[in-house]
Amino acid sequence: MQLKMSKSSDKMTAFEGQDLQTQALREKAMLFCVAIAIPSLILILWEMTTRMGWVDELFLPSLSGIVNEFFAMTRKGYAGTPLLSHVLGSLRRVFTAFTVGTLVGLLLGLLMGYYKYVRAAFYVVTELLRPIPPLAFITLFILWFGIGEVSKVLIILYAGALIVMLNTMAGVQSCPKDKILAAQTLGANDLAIFLYVILPAALPSIFTGMRVALSVDFGILVAAELLAGDLGIGYIIQDASTFFNVEGLFVGILMIGFFGVMSDFLLRIIASRVVHWQG
Amino acid sequence: MSKSPIHPVSSLDRQSELENSPAQLISLDRVSFGYSHKRLVLQDLDLEIKQGEFLTLLGPSGCGKSTILNLIAGFYKPLLGRVTHGGEDIKGPSARRGVVFQSNALFDWMTVEQNVGFGFRFQAVSKHERKKRVETIIALVGLRGNERKYPYQLSGGMRQRVAVARSMVVQPEILLMDEPFAAVDVQTREGLQEELLKLHEQVSGAILFVTHSIEEAVFLSDRIVILDRNLGGIAHDIKIHLPEPRYTAMNRVSDAFNQYRTDLYLKMKAIE
Ligand SMILES: Nc1ncnc2c1ncn2[C@@H]1O[C@H](COP(=O)(O)OP(=O)(O)OP(=O)(O)O)[C@@H](O)[C@H]1O
Ligand SMILES: [Mg+2]
Repeated sequence: MQLKMSKSSDKMTAFEGQDLQTQALREKAMLFCVAIAIPSLILILWEMTTRMGWVDELFLPSLSGIVNEFFAMTRKGYAGTPLLSHVLGSLRRVFTAFTVGTLVGLLLGLLMGYYKYVRAAFYVVTELLRPIPPLAFITLFILWFGIGEVSKVLIILYAGALIVMLNTMAGVQSCPKDKILAAQTLGANDLAIFLYVILPAALPSIFTGMRVALSVDFGILVAAELLAGDLGIGYIIQDASTFFNVEGLFVGILMIGFFGVMSDFLLRIIASRVVHWQG
Repeated sequence: MSKSPIHPVSSLDRQSELENSPAQLISLDRVSFGYSHKRLVLQDLDLEIKQGEFLTLLGPSGCGKSTILNLIAGFYKPLLGRVTHGGEDIKGPSARRGVVFQSNALFDWMTVEQNVGFGFRFQAVSKHERKKRVETIIALVGLRGNERKYPYQLSGGMRQRVAVARSMVVQPEILLMDEPFAAVDVQTREGLQEELLKLHEQVSGAILFVTHSIEEAVFLSDRIVILDRNLGGIAHDIKIHLPEPRYTAMNRVSDAFNQYRTDLYLKMKAIE
């Protein structure tokens, strides 16, 4: 009797489980449709407004115009330089600065999080620098390091490193005390505790910092390229707006958005692989 | 010492064994302690724990039970008096004294297997031996099949089992447990208590246990110490005689058990 009852209730829950699963799938599909539908609608509206001549092409070019401009650029290049060179130039700046900046920020952040005295030593400087927008330093950097690659890469590097450093430090300090004590009572020395406990506990914060840093880096990149030089997506944006080439301007903006999204996506995948234990 | 489950050995054997064993493992000698200099938490406290003994601390909230554990673990040093392990002053945390935290303090980034084997990284134990001992203890706490899981994939009771296994597998001379089962449901808790007794039988160390549950204390302990409030020190020190093996269901409902429970209940009430 008892057995029978429990059996049938088992079946019920298994059945219900399947039902829940299809329901969850259906919901996922719906959400996906909504997520795709709204942007599509915006694009259609955009194309319509421009086709019907509701707004001047000078303020909002047609989608097809932008696409044409993009393909024209891929064929003829921009300002005498192949489009690919502009793109690679920008990406090289960002990724050099991001990589080095992350390493520097990580190192400083770990030291500051772990050693009170290092934290004290850097405290005033970081608290002073933190509220200053990195762009405020850009002309200073140009003055110090010239108008070429170095100052561009350095300003991006600085902005990213500061963010990674602060997040890494916070991550190290957020490591639960009882986990450190548990490791100690299992015989771990300071180095082992750092490697096996504090560092993994800080990884989620570190990756958050890296993602924020990367998006900030793209912003600084464009600003730095707007200001000086004749290569890069920021240069295209700047140059196109000087000549009222609104289609070209949009191509530049959309390319920055595209690469920003793609690189964040990549970083998110890496993060979810590394920080896989959060469910 | 035979512990056949068919012919339960009288607990008198275990008690007299503890009685006759002169070996003091841990000793608190006129210990005074406060987290700040303004207020003492412990004053002139004497407490001894013998090798292999299962000792439980009971007492009102804030009377200093966790503090005593912290001192023995080596997380803090006494202001006055001495806390010794095998006659030597305790200078800091050591693998000779294991700790199970109420929060379980598992390493979320390690699998069950890696968590349990963590302590072996710092011991000269062969890989083969290591693997064998980890496997054995995982089976003992009923977690076979979960070796490759991460803590977030486990229930609260399972996590606490991992924490106990992790501390016990390296065979500390004493295991300090601060309300380790407080956060799990009653059924799981009883299972955990029985497993703990079985583990205690296999792994020879002493256990210092803290709980608010009188039933838990009686069921588990060789000896129970009730602490007074307001620096009162030790109010009662009671030996528990129950038939071996201790982990039988009978030992939760027997007259002897109920007598201890009533007695302790009244003693606790008198303090509060
Ligand atoms: N880290 C700490 N810093 C300062 N004071 C503390 C600290 N931990 C405990 N205390 C104080 O010391 C006293 C004893 O605390 P303790 O945690 O040892 O009590 P307890 O017996 O374990 O209580 P409970 O049963 O509630 O866990 C309390 O008054 C508490 O407020
Ligand atoms: Mg406590």
